[in-house]
Amino acid sequence: MLRRARPIKNHAAELQQFRRRALIGFLAALAGLLALAGWYFQLQVLRHDEFATRSEANRLRLVPVAPARGLIYDRKGRILADNVAAWRLEAVPERAGDGAALLARLQGVVTLDAEQQASFLKAYRAARPFKPVTLKLRVEDDEAARFAVNRWRFPGVELAPYLGRVYPYGALFAHVVGYVGRIDEQDLAAMGDAGSAFTHIGKTGLERYYERLLRGKPGYRRLETNVNGRTVRALDTVPAVPGIDLRLSIDAELQRAMVEAFGELEGSALAIDPRSGEILAMVSLPSFDPNLFVNGISHAEFKALNDNPSRPQFNRVVLGGVAPGSTIKPLTALAGLDSGVRKPGDKVLSTGVFRLPGMRGRGWLDGVHGWTDARKSIYESVNTYYYQLALDMGVQRYDAYMEKYGFGQKTGIDLAGEIAGIVPSPAAKRKYAGQRWYSGDLVNASIGQGLWKVTPLQLVRGVAAIADDGRMRRPHLAIAQRPGFNAGWVQLPQPAAVPISDHPQHVRVIQEGMQMTTTGSGTAARVFRGASYRSAGKTGTAQVVNRSATAVDPRSLPLWKRHRGLYIGYAPAEAPVIAVAVAVEGGGFGSDTAAPIARKVFDAWLLGARAPAAGAAPAAAAGDTAQVAPAAAPAPATGARP
Amino acid sequence: MNYLLYLLRSLLQRLLRGLDLPLLLALLAIMAIGLATQYSAGNESLRGVLMQGAYFAVGLGALWLAAQLPAHLLKQLTPAVFVVSLLPMVLVLFIGSGKYGNHWINLGFFNYQPSEMAKLTLPMMLAWHFDQRPLPPRFSSLLGGLAIIALPVGLTLLQRDLGTAVLILAAGVFVLFLAGTSWWWWALASSLAGGLFALAKFAPMAWFGFLRPYQQDRILTFRSPENDPMGAGWNILQSQIAIGGGGLTGKGWGQGTQSHLNYLPEHTTDFAFSVLAEDFGWVGVALVLALYLFVVARCLWLAAESRDGYARLLAGTVGLSLFVYVLVNGGMISGLLPVVGVPMPLLSYGGTSAVTLLLGFGVVMAVQARRPLRR
Repeated sequence: MLRRARPIKNHAAELQQFRRRALIGFLAALAGLLALAGWYFQLQVLRHDEFATRSEANRLRLVPVAPARGLIYDRKGRILADNVAAWRLEAVPERAGDGAALLARLQGVVTLDAEQQASFLKAYRAARPFKPVTLKLRVEDDEAARFAVNRWRFPGVELAPYLGRVYPYGALFAHVVGYVGRIDEQDLAAMGDAGSAFTHIGKTGLERYYERLLRGKPGYRRLETNVNGRTVRALDTVPAVPGIDLRLSIDAELQRAMVEAFGELEGSALAIDPRSGEILAMVSLPSFDPNLFVNGISHAEFKALNDNPSRPQFNRVVLGGVAPGSTIKPLTALAGLDSGVRKPGDKVLSTGVFRLPGMRGRGWLDGVHGWTDARKSIYESVNTYYYQLALDMGVQRYDAYMEKYGFGQKTGIDLAGEIAGIVPSPAAKRKYAGQRWYSGDLVNASIGQGLWKVTPLQLVRGVAAIADDGRMRRPHLAIAQRPGFNAGWVQLPQPAAVPISDHPQHVRVIQEGMQMTTTGSGTAARVFRGASYRSAGKTGTAQVVNRSATAVDPRSLPLWKRHRGLYIGYAPAEAPVIAVAVAVEGGGFGSDTAAPIARKVFDAWLLGARAPAAGAAPAAAAGDTAQVAPAAAPAPATGARP
Repeated sequence: MNYLLYLLRSLLQRLLRGLDLPLLLALLAIMAIGLATQYSAGNESLRGVLMQGAYFAVGLGALWLAAQLPAHLLKQLTPAVFVVSLLPMVLVLFIGSGKYGNHWINLGFFNYQPSEMAKLTLPMMLAWHFDQRPLPPRFSSLLGGLAIIALPVGLTLLQRDLGTAVLILAAGVFVLFLAGTSWWWWALASSLAGGLFALAKFAPMAWFGFLRPYQQDRILTFRSPENDPMGAGWNILQSQIAIGGGGLTGKGWGQGTQSHLNYLPEHTTDFAFSVLAEDFGWVGVALVLALYLFVVARCLWLAAESRDGYARLLAGTVGLSLFVYVLVNGGMISGLLPVVGVPMPLLSYGGTSAVTLLLGFGVVMAVQARRPLRR
């Protein structure tokens, strides 16, 4: 290296200068690092809440845990609505990708019909990207196995376990228990946030009425997820609270006996314990299999149900309002006695024809019964007695008594959608027929014809009130609830009985008249001949078709549009434990079709081994319970009721 | 017994001869925190920690060796060292590898990044250059200095490594500054830079074409990170969430959710300081920044004490460079500065960076004035 002459350097000056510059450099570094520390202070301390929230939002995911739905038992502990473990196939849009492509790839692995595919695609398009959409509810075992093997091909598609609803008795309790179905948008809106945990909701029957009890409370799992959305670990779980179990007063055996008693006939019937208002059996025929609705009924099946002229889905018990016909007579007679218009012994002459004062022409034709008192008017079903009685009472007084007996009002049964019915009145006629009221309307109303609309439920409540010496009770299905499998049954409170008469002796007269219906010259004597117990009852026929006004042959109409055979009754006559109302569609006279059904129901309940005598009931029930659900299904405290 | 102690003591003395203890202790403290951060960032796996520990060991060895060098020898060797350090930078253009450009030479066990070495050799060369000439520098020596700066900076830009180029340039600028370059020149340079910036702002396509797409992304993203939360801005956002979520005292060592659940990108390298901020909070951040400031101050102090012009310039520049690294990395991961791939000194995972840094501090210790005279 070539050495050049060194330029002259002033070392002291250079040192001074360097020290000045070094100081400036240090101050700059100090300022820079202080600024950085300040900025971090801003982020970490001043804006900590904001970032901490975002940090938590990053990592935490709440996954709802669906509770087990409450079970429904009959009075003996038989399960009417059960939960079974099932698998459903779900797809998360943001990970599963295009819906149509996914369906194409799933072919051969999981069978999905065109309908399921269409409904999936619709839901899939509308869903939020991270929310699973159900591909198929209740995946069969072999499908689940096939899918599990091919699972790697379907990112974002998962088999999710859940508890599915099953109705072991199928059609037998379709109109009592009802069914659950897939949650739709309306349900979701009604359920709010809780909805995300559930797939099903009660749609009809008890499942709907007691939805809030049965549903339970969803729990949550807090999951820590990484940047790919994969769960790293479960942080904690708020367990789901299972739904409340319900115990019904229904007896599955009696229910079956009642359905069998109908044979091929259609219609509805109820059996009730007059001492408590507990419904023992309740059928509406024809029925349908509620299990069809749980996993989404196919269009074809739904169409078949809907197009059936007999309307299987129509719950005749609470919705089927018809004229009560002669079954209204016992209560009309009671109204006559209680209003003081008639005394029990007052007699009216039945000549076979009845004309209003000043009326000409044919009038009302009837059989010839001779002198008729209150009792005879019931057991021989003498119309003339009631024509004159109603006219003597006047429509207002008459209607007031009918409303007191519960007609035109809901019974308050624990089923959704009950109708109130109609009591004939000038106002009702104006409203429903658009016509003015004539005295002849009252004559018709007195024997349960005309504008009347009464449900079988209202009828049975009325007859139960007569059977229980004038105490009217709320008919009900659920008698006890249980907050968990290991908890005890708790009786559901019922409203107190309402007296319908202040004169026990008058009720007695009505009871006697009804007892005579099943004996001697009574209208149902033939049906109850040979019975080992005494029963009371009243036949009736509801005129549905107006004979003069229609040219249609009644036999071409569906049964429910034809005359309805009716029967109300209770047994045993001395100490009633069961009251029934039977309505047979197209059944002609009540004595021909409805009364035999009532007899079979009485026979089943009283002569079958299960008849609970008032005192022996708890023991018998407990014995049965032990057979059905040995471990943890204590009998409801049936003995607690009066 | 006493003899044994004496032996140990003399061994320790011999080992520590030529080392500046306050500087060494501060560096060791930062390295310890760095290893702890790596342990947390690597999801409690020891592998990364051991690797980084090995790098630190190599770096400390380099530091010790450099500190033993006689200052005059180092000074004499400087031009040769500079040229030798430039050669791999040329080579890397042809045989390099790397994620975003040809930054590394694969040595089999180790990816060597030649531009890292220039961060040290450039100030050495510049210090040597200005030490030969009277200071403050005249125009001619200033021009010479600029030419020396242009070489490594240009080569680094050819590798498309903007971050490292900026840091090398910064080191050069510090030498110019410490050498006493007139304020007038600074004013001129600032206005020139300002003009360039304005030009860039008003004709974005012109400079945009020069940058790689990822670099364009980084700069655009920096201007508005929220615009693109799932893309390039995602990194800054997640890093801010990690830092901000740490709060005053942090979530605890290894408890940072942002890094452990992989929301934080590159959490062992560029974003290691975010991991520290999340785990140890602002208290940890302030402590580490204080340590860095101490190192900077100590280097400047040693420089100011030195009677040798070369030593002064070199030691001062090493100190101020460290400050710039900290500022750029700390600013970039918190959204204060654009994302340029600058590691946090001794905290981020990386061998070349750690070894070069420690070697630099070794050189600082070698040229300090108070070291015992040899021979």
